[in-house]
Amino acid sequence: MALLASGCGGGGTLSAKALTRQSTSLESLAAEGALLARHAGGGKTTRIFTRVHSEYLYEAASQAASSLRTAKTEPALEPKLRRVASLAGKISADLKRVGHASKAEQPRLARELEAAAEELK
Amino acid sequence: MSLKNVLAVALGILSAIGGFVDIGDLVFNVEAGATFGYQLLWVVVIGVAGIVVYSEMCGRVAAVAKRPVFDLVRERTGFSAGLATLAASQVVNLMTCAAEIGGVAICLQLLSGLPYRVLIPLAVVGLAVASWLLPFEWIERVFGYLGLCLLVFAVAAIKLHPDWGRVAHGFVPGSHTGGSLSVYLYFVVGLLGAAMTPYEVYFYSSGAVEDGWGLKELGLNKVTAMIGYGLGGFLSFALMIVAGTLFLPLGIEPQFLGTPALGAEEALGQVGLLLALVGILFAVGGAAIETCFSGAYNTAQFFGWHWGKKERPAGAARFTLAWVVIFTLAFLVVMSGYDPVKLTEYSVIFSVVALPLTYLPILLIANDRSYMGSKVNGKLANVLGVLYFVVILAIAVAAIPLMLITHGGQG
Repeated sequence: MALLASGCGGGGTLSAKALTRQSTSLESLAAEGALLARHAGGGKTTRIFTRVHSEYLYEAASQAASSLRTAKTEPALEPKLRRVASLAGKISADLKRVGHASKAEQPRLARELEAAAEELK
Repeated sequence: MSLKNVLAVALGILSAIGGFVDIGDLVFNVEAGATFGYQLLWVVVIGVAGIVVYSEMCGRVAAVAKRPVFDLVRERTGFSAGLATLAASQVVNLMTCAAEIGGVAICLQLLSGLPYRVLIPLAVVGLAVASWLLPFEWIERVFGYLGLCLLVFAVAAIKLHPDWGRVAHGFVPGSHTGGSLSVYLYFVVGLLGAAMTPYEVYFYSSGAVEDGWGLKELGLNKVTAMIGYGLGGFLSFALMIVAGTLFLPLGIEPQFLGTPALGAEEALGQVGLLLALVGILFAVGGAAIETCFSGAYNTAQFFGWHWGKKERPAGAARFTLAWVVIFTLAFLVVMSGYDPVKLTEYSVIFSVVALPLTYLPILLIANDRSYMGSKVNGKLANVLGVLYFVVILAIAVAAIPLMLITHGGQG
């Protein structure tokens, strides 16, 4: 929803501000996914909550990833757009795994998502 | 006061605390905390004091005039102005009711794992059956008491070890850091709107008439409004503190109804998660019923229909039909697939626009000796009432522009 509000409804031209907003929103999704994965790894949450909530996070991230893949921006922002689009794909893949990963696998996913969030800062 | 009465008052206060938080409070308090930390706690104080001031007036009007507010709105302001107030309040009620129903379905999904779209009709049927079968007091108390599970956020707020000095500083209005001025003001408007939602006063006033309040209940009215809503505000503080302590440092912008539950989970593990989800479920479920009934009360009172939850459904057929229709319309809105969190943001902002239409007639009637006799507003109630009305006018004017400028608080 935040991504749609930021003016990226599917392959449009992104302004610098809109790209920053997308990046911030993805950073938030990655950080939230990391927190959820950390809780899942530590036995702090339920399987159902992990699966359902990570699905919400995944849907938002994958929507962002697909719109970023086809988005255009001014030439100076192209490298940033490519980097954010690549991270969006990675984040959405990790978020999808959080919902079904074993307890042992969750800390690694948490670290990957934390790293992605850090990269987007 | 007998022990039985003290118990009744205590139970009423407990249900008011548990019933204070709805989806608007959840969304705006958590988003505000995640964006500005504790810096907006002072707004919650102002919002809670506002709803206390106007609820007390509404309860007093109901107890003295023995008539609910909307009945008097039409009589006092005339058909056209009354109809405008009715239309505005119904639009906001419907949006809020739909958002609350969506919230119930999401909570059920987070608890059961069943598909969201299957749970929406189940949620509506469950709420409608509860509304049909349970007496008024039971509805208030069942949802209010189970809504008290939200106190888990107060425990979480303590266990997350916030910087209490900075928390205390948040109760003092001042300059802000961490976001633009327009986003800060957007959250000021949203938090005030979430705390002073119109349906709360309509429901409170109609409930007082249903309970047969008279002059003897004026004390109960003061206590319930002040302590019930006042303590209910602590839940809002807790939500904002949890978000400011956990989500802000991590860069999490809450976009989902499950996000606040992560705060309880961080502090208290699975028990915290389950208490948070059950608390949210009953808080938004109770609010769904309140908004739906508020809409039916307003319609019935405006058109002079026989109304009342205490009546048998057939005895107040048009009133019963009205709340069934509102539930049905809200169901259709949620089934359209619109995100309940976004719907909540819109409903709160639009309710802010409609606030003057709700609160001005209350202020006028509470000052009208032909209705209130010697129980008209005192000096303090009038000063606060007028002061809040000025605030309400200001935020009503600013609400939509701020929502557009900030893209719904996203800067």
